[in-house]
Amino acid sequence: MVLQQKSIFLFVVAAALRLAVFYLFPHITSVLSEQAEIATPVSSYKRLLEGLFLYERGVSPYDGGVYHQAPLLLVVFEFLPPAAVFTLLDMLIAYNIATIAERLALPSPRFRKLDGGQLAIAYLFNPFTILSCLGHSTTAFTNAAITQAIASASTGDAFGTMFAAALGSYFSLYPALLLPPLILLWAQTKKVQLQLQSIVAPAAVFVGTLVLLLSVSALLVGNLWDVLISCYGAQITVTDLTPNIGLWWYFFIEIFDAFRNFFIGVFWIHLIGYVGALTIRLPEQPLFVISSLIGLITVFKPYPGISDVSLYLGLLPLYKHIMPLTRYTFVAASVLLYATLLGPAFYHIWIYAGSGNANFFYAITLVWSLGLSMLVGDSLFAVLRDEWEMLRPEMRGKDVRQI
Amino acid sequence: MGLLRSSLSNLRTSPRLLAVPPYISLLCMLGGIIWILLLPLDEYSRRTYISENALLPGQVHTYFHGTEQNIFRAYYHEVADVLEVQTKTAEDGSQQYMKATPAHRNERIRSIFHNSGIKTASQSYKYNVGGQELHGENVYGIVHAPRGDGTESIVIVAPIENFEKQLNTNGVTLLLTLARYFSRWSLWSKDIILLVTPDTSAGPQAWIDAYLSQHNPETVSSLTLKSGAIQGVIVIDYPFRHLFHELHISYDGINGQLPNLDLINTAISISSSQCGIPTLLQSQHRYAKPEHQHHYLNRLKVLGHGMRNQAIGHSTGAHSVFMPYHIDAITLTAIGQGREDEMAFGRVVESLTRSINNLLEKFHQSFFFYLLLQNTRFVSIGTYLPSAMAVGAGFTVMAIYLWLKSGYEQREQGKEQITKPTERDDGSQDKIERALADPNITNEQLLKQPSAGGVDRVKTKVWKSVDRHIALPAALLAILYLTSLVPMAILVTAEHETLLTRTGALCTVIIMVPVGLSFILADNTYLVDTNILFGPSTAAISANGVPKDLPEVGLITTDSSPPLDPSTRLTQFHAILKALSLLVLGLQITVLATLNFSLSMFLGVLCSPLAFTGYYPSSPLRARASLISIVLFNPFVITNFAIMGAKLAGYYDDSFGMKEVLRQWLEAVSFGWSVWGAWGVPVGVFCVWLPAWIVAAIGVMSSFIADEDGTIKNKVEKVKEDMKGGVQKVQKAAVRDSSQVRKRKK
Repeated sequence: MVLQQKSIFLFVVAAALRLAVFYLFPHITSVLSEQAEIATPVSSYKRLLEGLFLYERGVSPYDGGVYHQAPLLLVVFEFLPPAAVFTLLDMLIAYNIATIAERLALPSPRFRKLDGGQLAIAYLFNPFTILSCLGHSTTAFTNAAITQAIASASTGDAFGTMFAAALGSYFSLYPALLLPPLILLWAQTKKVQLQLQSIVAPAAVFVGTLVLLLSVSALLVGNLWDVLISCYGAQITVTDLTPNIGLWWYFFIEIFDAFRNFFIGVFWIHLIGYVGALTIRLPEQPLFVISSLIGLITVFKPYPGISDVSLYLGLLPLYKHIMPLTRYTFVAASVLLYATLLGPAFYHIWIYAGSGNANFFYAITLVWSLGLSMLVGDSLFAVLRDEWEMLRPEMRGKDVRQI
Repeated sequence: MGLLRSSLSNLRTSPRLLAVPPYISLLCMLGGIIWILLLPLDEYSRRTYISENALLPGQVHTYFHGTEQNIFRAYYHEVADVLEVQTKTAEDGSQQYMKATPAHRNERIRSIFHNSGIKTASQSYKYNVGGQELHGENVYGIVHAPRGDGTESIVIVAPIENFEKQLNTNGVTLLLTLARYFSRWSLWSKDIILLVTPDTSAGPQAWIDAYLSQHNPETVSSLTLKSGAIQGVIVIDYPFRHLFHELHISYDGINGQLPNLDLINTAISISSSQCGIPTLLQSQHRYAKPEHQHHYLNRLKVLGHGMRNQAIGHSTGAHSVFMPYHIDAITLTAIGQGREDEMAFGRVVESLTRSINNLLEKFHQSFFFYLLLQNTRFVSIGTYLPSAMAVGAGFTVMAIYLWLKSGYEQREQGKEQITKPTERDDGSQDKIERALADPNITNEQLLKQPSAGGVDRVKTKVWKSVDRHIALPAALLAILYLTSLVPMAILVTAEHETLLTRTGALCTVIIMVPVGLSFILADNTYLVDTNILFGPSTAAISANGVPKDLPEVGLITTDSSPPLDPSTRLTQFHAILKALSLLVLGLQITVLATLNFSLSMFLGVLCSPLAFTGYYPSSPLRARASLISIVLFNPFVITNFAIMGAKLAGYYDDSFGMKEVLRQWLEAVSFGWSVWGAWGVPVGVFCVWLPAWIVAAIGVMSSFIADEDGTIKNKVEKVKEDMKGGVQKVQKAAVRDSSQVRKRKK
């Protein structure tokens, strides 16, 4: 059993809190699911309801160009109550984080065995998590798949890892970028030497699951091309420029059409570039690579929401032993805190009060991204420093200067 | 370069640096206030100018005179007949007073509209505020634009009762005359909506809500006649019969939103240049000479009055309710005794309507964030915002300072090697203090110095980093912020009869909260218990932003710290609680500054003493100063001062007692909350000020309770003695103490 009794109690409290809010304030979802920070074009519950409406009447959910999410979600919400689904997903993610934390063992002398329950509770009571659950952000499905993949990888279950990764990629594409560190993590847990033969079977599982999911989707919608274009095409080519907390929408509103394709390519290459760089630089710490990648993807992907941030903040404490080595966490935390409050204020000034303009909101999303990248960069620095101190124990605690 | 870096990192860890932040914070706050006081100077304000070319203020001929005056007089009799109280001598010679019913009144107004060939409609509404029902009926007519497509409109409003509850007979008559006059013109490209409301507060609100279909159909009826998007609103207020001297322009909206500066500038320019009528702002109409407007103090008065209106965020006329929907609106009020007649007023409205009619797009060119100093000078957001930001930064600086302080503890180094602490050589201690004050001596030298001197190895005070136990203060703060919503909900939803008693009860409860909490907290066992509950791993948050392990320079050492003794633990708890509270306060002030600058500024100034109060168990002077400031700067005392101030300033005559004024204010807040959605004052007081005050009060009370209640102080003393026996004993003592306290409780 991963969880202690106290943690189970707090799990129940967290679930009860969510369900109580749903029950007591039934309108909260419709308010929150309009917030730009919670609902992006690819995770909005309102858009999902629109797709569901079309789907239930036998029309393709992608007609009308509002819905850009995976077709299987429609089946889920056709039958299940959304409040229960999103609460359960949060519980699943928290449980997965607890599993990952309990399994984690690092060679660093600073490392102490983690209490998985604590990390899970920290995730569950994170205001970002609660808000995105209340706002029904469908990113929760992706997050659950990612955490499931990491949890399976850290228990050495290749099939589970690949299945969950494929599911995540099916929901929102980018989890496929996490495959290299996931495979490394699995190999590290199983203590196998990575060779081409040992990857073939997992890769086959990944591809097979993906093919299976896509063919089911094609059956549901009736047209595979529709799914590929409206769901994944929209995510890759960023056709919907609804404001969100990411860096893309403003840029692609402003850009001249002639350069649009070029810069979409540049932005994606920039994002994908981190996968190779981090995986090659830190092959011994694949879990840190995964969590840093999630942080970077949250900053640089086209449609990020606070749900993505909550996953990153849920995984970051796995490396809390490097906290003493970080340098700017207070600054980063303050920046994030200010951006969190100023974001909705500026959005209000822009959209509702009309006394501000889009630059107000975009400026604060830049600050937000700055805060997040400071957090990622700082933790990366700390991990590198930790690694270096393991190589050269005599330098521990000494000031280092480049000569 | 290397030298610079090393001296910088030395500076970073210097204990002297820790003494600086409170002064920086004080400087920020004083700077913010002084900044505001500088704004009325010519160097910091700008002349107003028309930014939107399409407006062309005063470039058209006005034709509202001559025969229109006869029509005005005719209408006046018809309107006065139904608006004013009529005296009638009965057959037996007794006087009878009669007033037309609202239905009769509206029928008359509609028939006048109708005779001018204008489509009319009416709308009834009903609001229930604090157990009192408020109902009425709006009447309006629409002049369709001959050259327009009905997608845009201009609204002209005349409330029957103006903001001061005076009968606006002349205004309503002027509106009806203008309606007839406008409907004969062919040059309108925007529809003109002419609205007559019973009052300035609920009527316009019901109408604009229904116009934009944002109303509650159960209490506010829908509009049967609509036009396009409203580009501008002009409210006509002429509450007397005689000739007037000046036009007063009100512009403050609900929640401190302001109309586009172009609209105000256009009105001022038309009124003063084209029609030769002086204009005034913010109820300042006692200038002996026009040039007195330029005086510093008069400008400051206009600024202060404007900031007051903005901070309260209540309606200042019928125009206010349009602002939350991003519709620019102003009220023109005739004031003073002079030589201008209703035709001159009409020409101003005509010319202003023509200017708005010229607009190609909504008002957007000019400023939405500004503070006016007089009718031709303003301060823009870039100039005034830094003041609120500086005040907010003051809180944040104190928060960071307390946070850093809570992560360190002053310990005496070299304890193990030294036989008795009392044998400390005071001279060498002096030497160290002198060395500390000398910037030429580095920290490393300082550590070496005593031993190099060959004297007894000296105990130096060393800053040790300690784990921060953040869970309890964070949880307490979260609970305080959440529970502060309860009194807010109680007050804004209360029945008006129970308002005063509820406020009294709330005051008592709220003042008891910090006292009770500090008694509970003074008992260290709770702190120890939470440590068991949450585990020591909460220390993960420690040393944020501070190099805990990295450069081991100077006075900061990084040995893993033993558990804190209870008194340090209590000090740390208060420091963290205060740090978090100030961090949140700074954040709130900053965010509010972007939404409602004046509210944020007032709150910032009122909360500023709270930043410097704290838990000072060992310094009675500071503790007393803190006590005085929390007693003076709490919402209830300040409200009392404000009422006294308002009475002294002549806003209320002597027939109003303190309680009566307070009741009026509370009713206004409750009305504003439920009808206008004015959240500024309740949110500012209950979500920003009150939690910050309670946290400050907990700290201050605790320092007294630890003094007066002998048990706590003695315990700390005893633990200090035990410290000499070593760290293990300390732990035992803490456990023993806590069990003793438990027993005592039983």
